[in-house]
Amino acid sequence: MGKDAFDRRSFLKGAAASAAAVLSTQLAANAPAEGAESNSDSGEKPASRDKIIGRPGSDYMVDVIKATGMEYIASNPGSSFRSLQESIINYGGNKKPEFLTCTHEESSVAMAHGYAKVAGKPMGIAAHGTVGLQHAAMAVYNAWCDRVPVVLFAGNFLDANTRRPGVEWYHCVQDPAALLRDFTKWDDQPVSLQHFAESVMRGYKIATTPPMGPVLITADGDLAEEAVHDEKKLRLPKLTMTIPPQGDSGAVTEAAKMLAAAQNPVILADRACRSQEGMKRIVELAEALNAPVADIGGRMNFPTNHYLCRSLDKRSLVGQADVVLMLEVADPWGQFNTISDPHHEYRRLSKPDVKIVHISLGDTLTKANYQDMQRFMPVDLAISGDAQATLPALIEAVKSATSMSQRAAISDRATKLREDHRRMKDRVRTEAAPGWDATPCSTARTSAQLYNLIKNEKWCVAVSSMQWNKNLWPATEYYNFIGGSGGAGQGYGAPAAVGAALANRDKGIVTVSIEGDGDLMYAPGSLWTAAHHKIPLLMIVHNNRAYHQEVMHLQKMASLHNRRMDTAAIGTTIENPNIDYAKLAQSMGVHGEGPINDPAAIGPALSRAMAVVKRGEPALVDIVSQGR
Amino acid sequence: MRGMISKIIFLLLLTTAFASAQESGPAGSAERGHQSYMKYMCYTCHGTLGQGADRGTGPKLAPNPLAYPAFAVQVRTPRLDMPPYRKEFVSDQELTDIYAYLSSVKPSAALKDIPLLNFQ
Repeated sequence: MGKDAFDRRSFLKGAAASAAAVLSTQLAANAPAEGAESNSDSGEKPASRDKIIGRPGSDYMVDVIKATGMEYIASNPGSSFRSLQESIINYGGNKKPEFLTCTHEESSVAMAHGYAKVAGKPMGIAAHGTVGLQHAAMAVYNAWCDRVPVVLFAGNFLDANTRRPGVEWYHCVQDPAALLRDFTKWDDQPVSLQHFAESVMRGYKIATTPPMGPVLITADGDLAEEAVHDEKKLRLPKLTMTIPPQGDSGAVTEAAKMLAAAQNPVILADRACRSQEGMKRIVELAEALNAPVADIGGRMNFPTNHYLCRSLDKRSLVGQADVVLMLEVADPWGQFNTISDPHHEYRRLSKPDVKIVHISLGDTLTKANYQDMQRFMPVDLAISGDAQATLPALIEAVKSATSMSQRAAISDRATKLREDHRRMKDRVRTEAAPGWDATPCSTARTSAQLYNLIKNEKWCVAVSSMQWNKNLWPATEYYNFIGGSGGAGQGYGAPAAVGAALANRDKGIVTVSIEGDGDLMYAPGSLWTAAHHKIPLLMIVHNNRAYHQEVMHLQKMASLHNRRMDTAAIGTTIENPNIDYAKLAQSMGVHGEGPINDPAAIGPALSRAMAVVKRGEPALVDIVSQGR
Repeated sequence: MRGMISKIIFLLLLTTAFASAQESGPAGSAERGHQSYMKYMCYTCHGTLGQGADRGTGPKLAPNPLAYPAFAVQVRTPRLDMPPYRKEFVSDQELTDIYAYLSSVKPSAALKDIPLLNFQ
């Protein structure tokens, strides 16, 4: 490729006289009718049906995208990026990036969200102008809140002079990023191909530098559709990734002294880890201190079967702690305080003199409007740094700061901590037993049946509407759990699970998800995407036939207003008619089983579904379940 | 301190309630109670068998529920996030029936008899 555009009309000028006659006819046909308003002042050219662009700008855009290493572009097709789509497929060979067909832009972004958390790198998204970006917005907000990199390409025709009348004007926008600017990390609207190349590299780098987040780059339609002019002048910038920042060494030393001297240190980890290496480092730190760890779950931070794992005891641990180390905690205030609902009674959970250290990049990425920064939490030592990158220095500093007597005291804590861990595990198993044979099915039973199915596999729970998995299952690998949606916006689960499953597909990791029925109904089309692209995923529908949490809110409000309390089902339940999720899945080419009411049928249905997943295809099992 | 006082009061109430329950158990219909339990959607937090729920949404109520007076105190003037269910909207009879339903729930299989819950 690499040819400049050429105009077939010019080529024909030197051809035979008969051909020239044809050309003359065409030119005549394209000329403005007598009396019609001339467009010559606006710079428009008469159209030619023979015009061919051998090297459109969108080909170069594909070269740029390929240079970032992005393997996929998830998208619902749109005319504003039609040239880019065509170039991805025909010029790029539809490989790295491959075009993934999605049925909604919210699904495209959520799919990229789940993918990035497993793959450790972003997926691209193409969204069509105003409509596509508005559809994408909620999922972009989730990615923002969850600090996950997503690279969005917005189709648009900035030049009003080239827009077709009607719909294209509705879909075009002066400033495409304005809609999402409150919850994207960076954006740009390049006006040349060189500008596009530099902005994509910059955007990719910004998105993947902690704290990570979505970025948006406009792929202008005219820029994409017009020919590349003078390609020799274009330079593809080198992409160099930014090393995540470590916390200040003096502050790290001070934190180490506080932790070494503590009688009851506690570690709270949320979005701390980016890899297995991060988990190893937290284990090393926790063992050096014999400090219990509560994994808040934004990422997989700590092995659930380690004797220092005490995630279920977080509240009591915080209440007893004299020093708390937080590692990239999204809601620091909420770890130390509660406000009752609906009476808003405040309660402090921790001792008044507890010392708090927070290693976080949270303060480096905030915007004013959306309130994902959570309530302000005063701490004793705030270290601005990437938690995983700072841990090696902190571990060494703790070892250096620990005196002989402190070492002995730390060692003495082990026996009790092992016993406390065992008690926590026994407690949750005891809580899982009641209702084992109940109909609707017990969520604990579903969880246990699922684990029994995958325990000998490398497994990943991409999404889960229940906590049993983390509380019951032994989990030691970073890929086992990938955290939640970030912004708690509905519509994340199904497409995020499909994205995670795509990233796991070539790693031999079985991906499962436990999907709330209400959430699934936001984006059921993602099932079709999984079937179409042969993405193996075992999805269980946690079918409680309700927006379960909202039932409780309505009960609270009725009581608060001193009104009848038997009406909470109105507007909160998803029944009459009941949705047949198995048929829904089957209609989109996905293996579907259910609705399952008999708990004894769960195991066999999951086994059949797993056989489908092992063939490389998605499967859905609809289990009519208890609320939680 | 306030939390401590309310804990003491609650424990006293439970003790008193337990003592009085030994003297006279409430009369109610388990069948009607099941209907009321479902009608008022108690199951959303506590499970259809009163078995409790994931994420600490609602504590386990059955089998072997609290003594009736303590149960009634919790329903009418609950601790923590549960909304109060007042007499005007859940009658004493309905409450008694619900209690009868919870009392009728048979124990589930014991933990030791459920191999799938052995995650060691």
